[in-house]
Amino acid sequence: MADKYLIEPDLNFVKKIVGLGGDTLKKCFQCATCSVVCPISPDNKPFPRKEMIAASWGLKDKLVTNADIWLCHQCGDCSTMCPRGARPGDVLGAIRSYAISEYATPKWLGEAVNDPKKLPMLLGIPVVIFIVLGLITGLLDFSPEGDKIAHSSFFSSWLVDLIFVPLAAWVAVVFGMGIKRFVNDIHNNAVLEGKTDKTKLEICGFLKALVKVLPTILKHSKFSECGENKDRATAHLMVFYSFLGLFIVTNIFFVVLYVFQIHGPYSQMNPVKWLANISGVALIIGSALMIKNRLAKTDQTSSYKDWYLLGLVLGLGLSGMLTEMTRLAGFAGASYFLYFVHLVFVFNLFAFLPFSKLAHFVYRTIAMAYAEYGNR
Amino acid sequence: MTEEKAAPAGGSILVVGGGISGLTTALEAAEVGYEVFLVEKNPYLGGRVAQMNQYFPKLCPPTCGLEINFRRIKDNPKIKILTLAEVKKVNGVSGNYDVTIKLNPRYVNEDCTVCNDCVDVCPVERGNEFNFNMDKTKAIYRPFEMSFPMQYVIDSSACKGAECGKCVEACKYNAIDLNMEAKTINLNVGAVVWATGWEPYDAAKIDNLGFGKHQNIITNMMIERLASPNGPTKGEILRPSDNKAPESIAFVQCAGSRDENHLPYCSYVCCMASLKQTTYIRERYPDAKIYIFYIDMRTPGQRYEKFYKKIKDDENVFLIKGKVAEVSEDPDSGNITVVAENAVTGEKISQDVEMVVLATGMQPTTVTSKLPSELKCSDEGFIINDFEKGGMFAAGCANKPADVVSSNQNATGMALKAIQTLVRR
Repeated sequence: MADKYLIEPDLNFVKKIVGLGGDTLKKCFQCATCSVVCPISPDNKPFPRKEMIAASWGLKDKLVTNADIWLCHQCGDCSTMCPRGARPGDVLGAIRSYAISEYATPKWLGEAVNDPKKLPMLLGIPVVIFIVLGLITGLLDFSPEGDKIAHSSFFSSWLVDLIFVPLAAWVAVVFGMGIKRFVNDIHNNAVLEGKTDKTKLEICGFLKALVKVLPTILKHSKFSECGENKDRATAHLMVFYSFLGLFIVTNIFFVVLYVFQIHGPYSQMNPVKWLANISGVALIIGSALMIKNRLAKTDQTSSYKDWYLLGLVLGLGLSGMLTEMTRLAGFAGASYFLYFVHLVFVFNLFAFLPFSKLAHFVYRTIAMAYAEYGNR
Repeated sequence: MTEEKAAPAGGSILVVGGGISGLTTALEAAEVGYEVFLVEKNPYLGGRVAQMNQYFPKLCPPTCGLEINFRRIKDNPKIKILTLAEVKKVNGVSGNYDVTIKLNPRYVNEDCTVCNDCVDVCPVERGNEFNFNMDKTKAIYRPFEMSFPMQYVIDSSACKGAECGKCVEACKYNAIDLNMEAKTINLNVGAVVWATGWEPYDAAKIDNLGFGKHQNIITNMMIERLASPNGPTKGEILRPSDNKAPESIAFVQCAGSRDENHLPYCSYVCCMASLKQTTYIRERYPDAKIYIFYIDMRTPGQRYEKFYKKIKDDENVFLIKGKVAEVSEDPDSGNITVVAENAVTGEKISQDVEMVVLATGMQPTTVTSKLPSELKCSDEGFIINDFEKGGMFAAGCANKPADVVSSNQNATGMALKAIQTLVRR
């Protein structure tokens, strides 16, 4: 701070942060209560006081490249204790949302994900792709035959994978590019601000640190350290594990389909199916709890980015479980329709993963690993 | 005070509150020649100022200034003092107010010579709220050495009454009457000045600052009493847990002030108060280390800035920009750890100290005891002066948080406002 520092405020950045849920940021008068009451902030260069002044001054680069914004789990202790109602937790959430858009290419897609007016377009993209590609390839059959309901006879598994496998590759590339920039940026920022004792970023050491933080993430132990919003950790843990479960299920069935050539639907007695069902139910309950918590918490700002993601997750879970239930009940038409809707949700969640709030699982994981690596 | 002695309608001024502002308004108006009734709910005059050890920035004892004012009152037949008195109702319009006042019994009359014989025999003790309950007095007591009027008083909530009566026997001057009863009187006045003052914000409400949980965390008003020669420790600053002279002290500024969860406004005096109290400690314990944690040091004006600079240059005083938001106690030593982020260096500091002083702010008295009259108040309870309507005015800290100098200036102005009300009738 003693060094000369020429402030170059990015006013547009301030406006964006305000729009993303950080509308209280100008109320901050830098008393630093937040940095002290935060249960997970480190002693050296603690957050979020310094982020509040940087946001207020429009110092975009200082914030987007700052790993500390990801160490925050938005428990809200700072917002509760803030003497000015400046809600640092929400401001950091808004900065994170902005940072996600910054690291994802193309930028316009990031902006579309944060823009409620673009929602019909985002939902329309998969509908168009499914129908166009399905009709061209003939893998979409609107009058499937056979007395047993099998979703693949309506929406062929080939079509699913024809769309989702390249999509996965694209998501991986977008994330890969973002992560590369992100890791370098947060390292340079940490060196510049004296938040690390490492001068060079060694991949090997960083990966070791990543392995080390995995138990913390799996147990949500940082999240549970947060005071004010402790109840949120349970709901988050449910959604987190249901995604993990569904990820495992999808991979197993992928192998079963392509390696063993066994087509679904699979028996309800199958343990993998149990995992799928449990995960599906946990996803619905978890996301419903999250929505309930947000609606009940009048002191926490919820902006469109939050509702978009929560809506998707709940929609994903509901459409998935209803597809299965209507299938078991023998409502063919309803089941096929719900399956289509389900795939639209899957597409949205999946394709826009690097652009939506859900990308936090990548950036926060990396930031936590970096904090471990850099002895933060 | 009886009806016959009351001033002609509209001819007199009622001043509510006998602190420094009320005294000033009353004296300024009376010395111009107007009849003034000065009503004080305590058994003594002087209010909060009477509890101070020293004024800032001159560091002179307030008793000196009070003494001059008491002298002026004694010399001025235009002022009628009513202590232990509460205004119950004010009706009427500018220039013509009917006021109902309840006079609580003192149980000791004017014949009291302050010989102390009654205190010696009194078997009951009570918490001394004048010293923030850091010591006790007997049920019959003198509020402080130079309390005015110079008469003892009995705390009826502690006194056993006629069944004991030991003080009555001991009093050689027949000054004690345990059967004294409350009286209600009515006055007609032309103008009312509310100088109802302030109360220290209840520090126990500030959850994260540990007051009431840890013994060695005290408030700024408590350290005034500790530093006062007539205080519970006769002027020695000792920490409550073991009466040790503290070698390190932290001041926590804005304890409940500038905080939407408590008092949203700046209480104006606490920065200067802590700097002043720093001099108390430096004077008594030259080696003690003093840490002042602040959001902004607010020392307005040239004289206060000069005072601040002097303290800042002291090598044993450390000023840290960052609000204390967490405290903890070491149960063995009773020492306190205060935690703050130094916003200049960006380091979180955990400072161990032997005693902590919370610089609590001022809350208008009107918040805890509702005004018996229709007055416009701010959300925080400060009375808003409505000069358009006139007739009733607020002076001193009833109007805004202020130091003694500003209160006196303000109180003088309100004396003039009150006089104008009478003259324009």
